[in-house]
Amino acid sequence: MALAGALVTVDGLSFSYPSAPPALRDVSLALEPGEVVALLGPSGSGKTTLLRALAGLVPHFHGGRFAGQVVVAGLDTRRTRPAELAGTVATIFQDPEDQVVMTIVANEVAFGLENLGVEPRAIWPRVERALESVDALHLWGRKTVELSGGELQRVCLASALALEPRLLLLDEPTSQLDPEAAALFLAAVERLGATVVLSEHRVARALELATRVIFVDGGRILLDAPRDAALEWLRTERPRYTEACVPVTQSHFGELVLDARDVSFSYRATLPILDGVDLVLRRGEIVVLEGPNGAGKTTLARIVAGLVEPDSGSVELRGRVGYLSQDPGRYLVTETALAEVALAVNRDEQRARAALDSVGLGWAADRHPRDLSSGERERLALASVAVAEPDLLVLDEPTRGLDPERKVVLGAWLEEYAASGKAVLVATHDRDLPAHRRIGLSGTGTQSLEEATVGV
Amino acid sequence: MSPGPAALLLAAAGTAALLTDRLWAVALLAVVLLAVCLRAPAERRGVYLFGALTSGLGVLVLSPFLWSSPDGTILWEGPTIPVLGPLDVTTTELSEAALNGFRLAALGLAFAAYALLLDHDRLVAAAGVARRSALAVALATRLVPSLERDAVGLAESVRGRGVRLEGARGYATLLSPLVAGSLERATSLAEAMEARGFGRPGTTRAPRPPWSARDRLALVFAALLVLLAALWL
Repeated sequence: MALAGALVTVDGLSFSYPSAPPALRDVSLALEPGEVVALLGPSGSGKTTLLRALAGLVPHFHGGRFAGQVVVAGLDTRRTRPAELAGTVATIFQDPEDQVVMTIVANEVAFGLENLGVEPRAIWPRVERALESVDALHLWGRKTVELSGGELQRVCLASALALEPRLLLLDEPTSQLDPEAAALFLAAVERLGATVVLSEHRVARALELATRVIFVDGGRILLDAPRDAALEWLRTERPRYTEACVPVTQSHFGELVLDARDVSFSYRATLPILDGVDLVLRRGEIVVLEGPNGAGKTTLARIVAGLVEPDSGSVELRGRVGYLSQDPGRYLVTETALAEVALAVNRDEQRARAALDSVGLGWAADRHPRDLSSGERERLALASVAVAEPDLLVLDEPTRGLDPERKVVLGAWLEEYAASGKAVLVATHDRDLPAHRRIGLSGTGTQSLEEATVGV
Repeated sequence: MSPGPAALLLAAAGTAALLTDRLWAVALLAVVLLAVCLRAPAERRGVYLFGALTSGLGVLVLSPFLWSSPDGTILWEGPTIPVLGPLDVTTTELSEAALNGFRLAALGLAFAAYALLLDHDRLVAAAGVARRSALAVALATRLVPSLERDAVGLAESVRGRGVRLEGARGYATLLSPLVAGSLERATSLAEAMEARGFGRPGTTRAPRPPWSARDRLALVFAALLVLLAALWL
């Protein structure tokens, strides 16, 4: 039943994907125009499915068993195709690489406007405004295939903002953005004045903007309250959603594992990414590499892991190194989770099972990796690298897609791993991970150096 | 140059390479197309150039053994192989192999130039009819760099675990996850396109710059090139 004045009403919505348990159970809510709602909950709790339902993609695109009713701007989503809802609704999905259609950035932003039949003369000015609002105007003529993850995410955000939607659905929209770019984006969202539903694992960011919080778990709404009341609830019921980083306790480190000196690297002669960077890691130490998008965090991590040769400088490694790339769930290569983990230990199934257990995936040993959820795939990928117990574990953005509770578990796991006499290097925008040192890479090609002991 | 005339010019070059029987003309076309491809960024052009040049070279090396001509001077006489017949290489076979090798290389290079240098978005926009099909072709073209990036990611994921990929068999194990990954990507892209209104009636197009004199000249040149190849070369 639609409520007068509400932009969205969801009434008794239950949904199951084909051959799967219910993803949403009896969800009811109403969204007023201009509301900004933070949609929180653990991985796999039904947040993405709820966003898809609001966009009409559930059930039209995904199929499955749908019960109840979703009405958006007076349109029943069961009778209205998602393409017809576009414009009224704009959605940004988790992975920017999977939603880019066009070759050139400006054309990508114009794509949605063309589909909506916007007056041709108005298209380029709207594209320009949208790109400017996320500080991406300089990307106008660039090829989308050449952009970094963070740049691509900004282009996707601009594509959604250009539509000037009444309902903006954001599924982890800032996961690849540095704090400055994320703040800029959230400010642009706020200026839009639309009803916004923001699913975000970086809770502090979401709460900065939100006027209301919905907490979902097991497909049900556990909490639907204004921000301040929700904060109280979170502090008592889900304290990990309001805590900052996990303190690190160890302070004595062992022998040197990595000694990188004067490392320089550039993808093009005119564009140095790293210029004379030094990096030293000892056993027992967790070091975090920070910096804005394009500062060279991933490049330095890949150089340390031996996947890329530096243009100059030396990298001395004392022991074995393991590397977990960004978005590792995409790069799983075998037919079962057990085989995936066993690959790095000469198919030693006993060690593989222990590693699966350590990341809470013992039950999934015989499942195909692609049948797992994205969060489970990420944990499987971590187990696949860590099973060989490398002396230096290099992780690139390991908290992407992780809910706060899983993040705390990961933090504790990293601390335990380091305490066992190994070193850990993490490239991330996320300040919630424990670290003994944080090293800042500037975006100008040189290493600025704020080295700080944190987490204490 | 606008992408429409540029695409027609590349298509004309490919057609001319198929029509002409003169080795020097096909070789010239291949060299010109190679020079055009070299304008693309070095990090992106490698896979395309490798594909085009190795397939041309493959035809040049293999076809004299697989196709037999009674004409010409015998340069090398080998054993008789069941099914294949006598293995020999004659001057006629060699020149025919070179012609076909250059043809294939020219076609591959024309595609490489199309994929690397053209603005596919404007091609889609310029398509007066069958815009959806034009978009499908543009997306299929983008599949090559996506697959390349995924292949690199898969190989790095395995190397990052300390596992070495050795030989063709080692890399072949990545084929199945590569295909599965690209199917997953295609589904996600389709979902995103639907959510952005693709397929709605009443679409419009952002204004594009009109064709220049250079574009019109390119069209005339493309027509002349095909005509020349069909009638005189």
